[in-house]
Amino acid sequence: MNTPSRVTRRRLLKDTGLALLAVGSAPALSTPFISRAMADTRTLSVVQWSHFVPAYDKWFDNFAKDWGTKNHIEVTVDHIPVADVAARAAAEASAGSGHDLFGWNGAGGAHLYRKFLIDVTDLVESVEKKYGKITVIGRQIGYNQDDKTWSAFPDYYINFPVMYRKSLWDGIGMVPDTWDNVRIGGAKLKQKGNPVGISLGHSNDPNTTWRGLLWSYGAAFQDESGKHVVLDSKETVEAVKFVAALYKEAMTADVLSWSDASNNQYIDSGVSSLIINPISAYRTAQQLNKKVADDIFVMKPPKGPVRQIMGGAAEFYGIWKFAKNKEAALEFLKYYADNWVEAFKASSGYNNPIFANIVPKPMPLLSDDPTSTPHDKLSVLQTSDEWSAVPGYPGPAWPATDEIYNDFIVCDMMAKAATGAMTAEQSVKWAAQQCESIFDKWLHRA
Amino acid sequence: MVSIAEPIAKPASRYRFILDRRDVLGSIMVAPAILYVLLLVGLPFLLAVYYSVSAYTIYDPSWRFVGLSNFRQIVNNPVFQETLANTFLFTFGSQLLGLVLGKFGALLLMRPFPGRKIVRALIILPWAVPIALATVAWEWMFDSLYSVINWTLISLGIITRSEAPNWLGNPHLAMLCVIVVNAWRFFPFAVVIFLAGITSIPQDVIDAATVDGAGFWRRNYQIILPMIMPIVAVGLIFGIVFTFTDLSVVFLLTNGGPVGATSVLGFEGFQVGIVSGDVSHGAAISLFMLPVLFFVVIGMLRFIRRREI
Repeated sequence: MNTPSRVTRRRLLKDTGLALLAVGSAPALSTPFISRAMADTRTLSVVQWSHFVPAYDKWFDNFAKDWGTKNHIEVTVDHIPVADVAARAAAEASAGSGHDLFGWNGAGGAHLYRKFLIDVTDLVESVEKKYGKITVIGRQIGYNQDDKTWSAFPDYYINFPVMYRKSLWDGIGMVPDTWDNVRIGGAKLKQKGNPVGISLGHSNDPNTTWRGLLWSYGAAFQDESGKHVVLDSKETVEAVKFVAALYKEAMTADVLSWSDASNNQYIDSGVSSLIINPISAYRTAQQLNKKVADDIFVMKPPKGPVRQIMGGAAEFYGIWKFAKNKEAALEFLKYYADNWVEAFKASSGYNNPIFANIVPKPMPLLSDDPTSTPHDKLSVLQTSDEWSAVPGYPGPAWPATDEIYNDFIVCDMMAKAATGAMTAEQSVKWAAQQCESIFDKWLHRA
Repeated sequence: MVSIAEPIAKPASRYRFILDRRDVLGSIMVAPAILYVLLLVGLPFLLAVYYSVSAYTIYDPSWRFVGLSNFRQIVNNPVFQETLANTFLFTFGSQLLGLVLGKFGALLLMRPFPGRKIVRALIILPWAVPIALATVAWEWMFDSLYSVINWTLISLGIITRSEAPNWLGNPHLAMLCVIVVNAWRFFPFAVVIFLAGITSIPQDVIDAATVDGAGFWRRNYQIILPMIMPIVAVGLIFGIVFTFTDLSVVFLLTNGGPVGATSVLGFEGFQVGIVSGDVSHGAAISLFMLPVLFFVVIGMLRFIRRREI
């Protein structure tokens, strides 16, 4: 009769050791076979934000996969929330591993990570030769002034026109074409239950919009060289005073907690008389509330005392130095640029071209949009190069401008004065000090 | 006749000296855990210390030693001072609220009522639900345009639309909101701690107190609470450490706003160190939590030891 074997400490250790050895050696034994299989299939991985026009993501995924099939490359495209882009980039750069092609949104990236990105000067210049000169915005996005190189391929920018309810503004006999009119007319419409809706919270939209207002008053937080903070000026104080008045007279306290989607919801629900936002708000209204959508009209940003200008959000691709397939990433971007008109159409005119002739005017969907009433409602967007700039204007974008953007200093400067937490002068001083300390740090003056 | 061979004695294993010595074997067995802590906690900690005294940034990953200047700069920054104050308010506010709710939750769950088992299981939900998902729901409840709380209050005629609170837009209310959400997250843990503590008290002690004429409040605050204080303190240490270093609720609900009113150290360290790429200042902000937590934990552990004696 067999007696059940006793599990001794020694036996347990031996058996466990053998099992662990077997499991541990499996990858080493199988690696030669796996690497050969991997070598036969080339791969390209892309990560980018989840576009506010979902149809664009669908188009891009199919476009990338089709290109991969033609070139025997397995393409994977990951979409992440826009708020996670910066943290994901930091994680990939720190780990020295991640996607081959990284798509940035907003500030940061091209300049902050330039030591981790391959030089794409040849690519940008070849596309420039083919599709015309790169715009000022395009140059701000990815160009390094010090060594005249490109650390990122500027894909497109998102403009921020005025979107207003025509019937409401016609009702008071005004047009929101200047900032003063936005305040005066907005105050009248607020009395009727239709306030102006511009966020004073912490997100991309207010970061972009309030920069535009600052510039339109002749103020900025840095000079053209990008070496000096020039925020503490009478122009800035005037701009901040204006925002405080606009908030009190024409807006509600709701705007202090808004996310990027809130103003879209505000106008689409029929409450707001005016927002400043990319056309995704209008496109959403077309699907949710056709009556309101037909009443939403689009115009250039309001004129300020000095200029008519508005912030724009930069979108660009970088190729990591540690990317496994840099060649495929470069080839894909070339092919993508050659098919950019399709990308423009897929985004419903949301993505704005960076190269002068890449989408010849009249631009499809903007000049004559069959879904809009009237058909040329969006045609003013064709001129957005004239009235758009990206963070850093009038100087270059560099890590300090990105940090000022990420810390919401311009938004908080406006909000502190608007809520009465500080006077306009105090708020400007506070913001200028914050900018100074960031500049000192990045210029190694601290 | 068949002769049976004598079994050959196996040669002694060369590792026998290890396998037969309990002390050596014990060390070997515990080594992976120690290695795990050293690699995943110790090494990043040392790296953070090194980053905090250097000029290391993502843009310029050089290890130039700058001494304590990063700490000097952050301490002199009014935004950091406000953030530090917010962190204390957020941590101790949410812990206090969580403990009060936990205590009453535990007392209610001690009483028999129909469906008690289901309620006990459901009470764990705030802990089990992913924080991103839960915060989206809270965000909707506090939404400036579509707040379900405001909608209910307006529908009941308690307030008008113009009086409706702007939960996440008002600096004080926004802080209250992040405290409430964090207390809601901590609440199940507090309930479990209190339940464990209360059930460990011998029933005859409570019975004796009742016979002596102690009412509900006296029994709770003069007998039960002092007796379970050590276990509550351990739970509190856990809660304070995790809340003090947490950024998820603030990041998801308010993004530090409005006007920086809800920015806490974890969020600020993440914004500066990761999002803005200024790793050295981010590390300095994060490390600032260490001495604070150290003194809090030491103080509480001393308190527990004294209580046990």
